[in-house]
Amino acid sequence: MALLLAAALLVAQAVNFGLQLRASERQRTQQTTAVAIARLAELVARAEAPRPPGFEPMVVVTARSPILPAMPKRPDVVARAGQTLTELGLGVERMQAAEAMGREYRYIRDPATATLRRVEGPRRNALILSAELAEGRWVTAVSQFPPHDYRVVLWLLFQTILLYGFILLPVLWFVWRLSRPLRDLRIAADSFTSAAPAPPVRERGPADIRQLVHAFNLMRERLAAMLDEKDRMLGAIGHDLRTPLASLRVRTELVDDEAERDRMAATIDEMNRTLDDILSLARLGRPSEPPALVDLPALVDSVVDDFLDLGAPVTAEDSDRLTVPMRPTLIRRAVRNLIENGIKYGGGVRVRVRAESGGAIVEIDDDGPGIPPDDIERMFEPFTRAEGSRSRDTGGAGLGLALARAIATGHGGRLSLANRPEGGLRATLWLPAAG
Amino acid sequence: MDERPHLLLVDDERSIREPLAAYLARNGFRVTQAADAAAARDRLAGYAIDLVILDIMMPGEDGLSLCRHIRETSDLPVVLLTAMAEETDRIVGLEMGADDYVVKPFSPRELVARIKVILRRAARGGVRQQAPETQSYVFAGWVLKAGERALVDRDGVTVPLSTGEFNLMLAFATHPRQVLSRDQLLDLAQGREANAFDRAIDNHISRLRRKIEEDPKAPALIKTVWGGGYTLAADVTRL
Repeated sequence: MALLLAAALLVAQAVNFGLQLRASERQRTQQTTAVAIARLAELVARAEAPRPPGFEPMVVVTARSPILPAMPKRPDVVARAGQTLTELGLGVERMQAAEAMGREYRYIRDPATATLRRVEGPRRNALILSAELAEGRWVTAVSQFPPHDYRVVLWLLFQTILLYGFILLPVLWFVWRLSRPLRDLRIAADSFTSAAPAPPVRERGPADIRQLVHAFNLMRERLAAMLDEKDRMLGAIGHDLRTPLASLRVRTELVDDEAERDRMAATIDEMNRTLDDILSLARLGRPSEPPALVDLPALVDSVVDDFLDLGAPVTAEDSDRLTVPMRPTLIRRAVRNLIENGIKYGGGVRVRVRAESGGAIVEIDDDGPGIPPDDIERMFEPFTRAEGSRSRDTGGAGLGLALARAIATGHGGRLSLANRPEGGLRATLWLPAAG
Repeated sequence: MDERPHLLLVDDERSIREPLAAYLARNGFRVTQAADAAAARDRLAGYAIDLVILDIMMPGEDGLSLCRHIRETSDLPVVLLTAMAEETDRIVGLEMGADDYVVKPFSPRELVARIKVILRRAARGGVRQQAPETQSYVFAGWVLKAGERALVDRDGVTVPLSTGEFNLMLAFATHPRQVLSRDQLLDLAQGREANAFDRAIDNHISRLRRKIEEDPKAPALIKTVWGGGYTLAADVTRL
């Protein structure tokens, strides 16, 4: 905004400058031309004046014009000179005019010898005006252009600075006043997350900006209220679904058939896990757990150990301590989901943690059939499960990967799946070393 | 005289309360039911109750408030039923003075196992303590944060523990400088998670050593006692 204005001012000043320069140039030419014509008129008059015999004319008459063909001609000067001479009643055969570099001489008194000395002045453009009085009799007048007047440039410069001072400074101040609340607004909008709604923006600046900020603050409040409402609703849903599940779970113990009872309990556990996943996914933006520095290999190890206790075929490679900032409950959940998927679809699972530039990587390999490459990205969508034999009996609502990726992203990390060349699937969870 | 332990089951949800009462009755308990906090106060005044099973979310006065009331007036053990899985919510319940909690939907068998542990502890005449899970234990530069199931080292780095490791560590932290046999450890650790502790104690000990010992091959904290078992060779301070 201020830049645009400065540029516009600059253009206007440049145009102004050009016009001024042209005007002063024309004035210069006109003056020089007038002098040259006057001198020529005088020369012509003196050359043709009747004189007593024996007196040579006091005028230098040459046989040829000093104007060379290479010199730039000035027919406009010839026309004006012709007009002037006619008015004065002086007649000439023809005239020539041209510009050439002329030399100026000055005389100075030499203090040592007390004599005059001719000193060559600066070479400057001069106007040469030549008239042929009769065949082979030329008279010539020379008039030097005055030196360029650089004060004009200085004056213009001064003018420009003045203009900038008077116009640009108030504009800058105005723009700054305008942009400050807008910047606050941008920062507030940027930093608005569901976890911590930013504080209200201060209402300041011009009236319409103040109204905009006010409207934004109202929207912020409504959003925060909606997020609170969402949390309350999720809590209610969780409670209202867990209660009947709990009721079912208690009743299963009243069933006498032990195999049937275990199957019922497993189904209820599965439903509960899905419910947990849904609630976690919905609540991810507003974690209640504070972040902490956690030894990632120990965390992975503890998850693997829990699987081992259940008799699952999981192995973890030993690795050195590797500290990563995270919310441990969430990362634990992500790792658990990934291992669970590996067990469900791929049989044996191997887990490895290693440091990588700027972060840490958890690799989870399984021995399953892998996933067609085209389907890999689709696996991260909620409620998607691998094709083929994957029916409900493998369990899960297809939320595990979606939740794991959302958790990784929430930590500034990444989660990707890839088929290993030697067969099986590899899930790679990358977490940044600095939160 | 009825020798069975007398439980008071407080839950507004009939669909849970009645089958649970039936299950508990089948497992050797005498059960009295209450549908809300007011009824529960009434029953508490009228019967010699041994343990209260309390739902947190109830209309009217909620379970936490009733739990606080029970804690202020008696040493009666309390087990909370909660529908909230969030870690922080559970800890709040325990800080209210509950002895234990189960998250809905819970396994009734696990509930029975926990009730038995608590009653056994009460029967031993042990001084009623705050539930071990709400506390932190400081030893040899480590802090065992029971609520988070994790150890925190001197630099503030959290070292997560598996369920098995945590149960063992908690057993050691609550019995420092005592020689604990494998059977004792199994008993102490199993009280909490009955089904998640099938593997050999030795296996968990070695995993735990890898996490907390400077040199796992020459353990300085969890020492093996020849012919006796293991001992935590450090003083423990409770926070």
